[in-house]
Amino acid sequence: MVRILVAEQSYLLRKGLIHILRQFPEAGEIEVLGSNLGIEEVLQHFNPDLLIINSNIATSTNEKPLADLIPEDCKVLHIINTVLPPNAPDNQLSIYDSKVNLTEKISLSLKSIDDRQSVDDSEELTPREKLILRHVALGKTNKEIASDLFISAHTVISHRKNITRKLDIKSVSGLTVYAILNGIIKMEDIS
Amino acid sequence: MKMSDVVQFNFEVLVVLQRLQIPFGFKDKSIQTVCDENDMPVEFFLQLVQWFNERENFPQEQLIRGDAEWLIIYLHNTHQYYSHYQIPRIEKEIEYLEKMSGIPDQSVQLMLEFFRGYIREFTEHIEDEENTTFPYILALSDALSGRLSKEKFHTRYKNYSIDKYLDHHSDIEEKVFDLQSILLKHLQPPASSFQFTNLILEINRLGNDLKDHTLLEENVLIPKVRQMERELKEQSLHL
Repeated sequence: MVRILVAEQSYLLRKGLIHILRQFPEAGEIEVLGSNLGIEEVLQHFNPDLLIINSNIATSTNEKPLADLIPEDCKVLHIINTVLPPNAPDNQLSIYDSKVNLTEKISLSLKSIDDRQSVDDSEELTPREKLILRHVALGKTNKEIASDLFISAHTVISHRKNITRKLDIKSVSGLTVYAILNGIIKMEDIS
Repeated sequence: MKMSDVVQFNFEVLVVLQRLQIPFGFKDKSIQTVCDENDMPVEFFLQLVQWFNERENFPQEQLIRGDAEWLIIYLHNTHQYYSHYQIPRIEKEIEYLEKMSGIPDQSVQLMLEFFRGYIREFTEHIEDEENTTFPYILALSDALSGRLSKEKFHTRYKNYSIDKYLDHHSDIEEKVFDLQSILLKHLQPPASSFQFTNLILEINRLGNDLKDHTLLEENVLIPKVRQMERELKEQSLHL
């Protein structure tokens, strides 16, 4: 499921976009902002996979530049308030685009994000992920896990993301409960 | 329009009324009359109602333009509702699982420990808001309107700003949804499902409600306070 943040001032455009987005089974949770106010907090907290943002909002002054705030894996589609030239890139949506045009561009983005997410489609944890989970549940940091298992911290983070996606559990204490329930660690191990 | 019609249209509005401490028993009174009787700005009430009726159209800018005091009353009463009613209720329901057959004993104990850990974090989170952040915002509002002298405000809050609050503003719904996933997907369910289903429904309700709460704090309260801080700075420069 793709998490989508729509940042657009116009009520009508927001409604229309959401209407189109809802037609895709890949579209998961959708959050909406009407201005750049609070966008920093929402980006961090909601952590979208796709950001659809009006160029007016993207360029309006915030303390930090928008590019620094967007999560690493988040794809961005820009809403442009003018007509686009015929060779415009696929990540630009014009408010004058036809429904077919918009649907096509949005579909491309959603599918590419969805493909990336479902490389490993099974909900079962792999033995490697179980090993990482065991370390997480024992209270180790990403750095510690990386050095224990001779892998990079980046790999640990990517495993953790997959674990969270498969189990739908984000917090360390939630993951610990899961690990105990499933015999990955014992109650005594953590006390 | 009559207040009772607004409620009939969407019963969720009762929650808004309760959090603004507007008593029920409206008879045929209009929205305006009920708000006036409770010294409530009618716009604020209507913005919240509109949001409850059309979830995807959050009236962010209008709410930011409104009164900080009323927003804080709403948030404060929401805290009360969570900590005195909804959260203890869920805790009791988890305790009740122990009596049910089919769930391994250890699992219930684990859920309880998890949820009690959450309650501790939650309490810390709201105590920080109630004891530090909200009084700061109210003082800021007083300083802007002249009810509190700017010198007094600045001596009291020399080193505080809303960014300090953001530094340790953590996610309060994450663990609630984690618990929901564990109960729904990963736990061996009990033989009888009435209470169990109800528990999951209650947890889901709390999680969604906390999401709304976070939305109000992050997208309205914080930008509003930043605006107020800037205004005060400008006022002080012109003195």
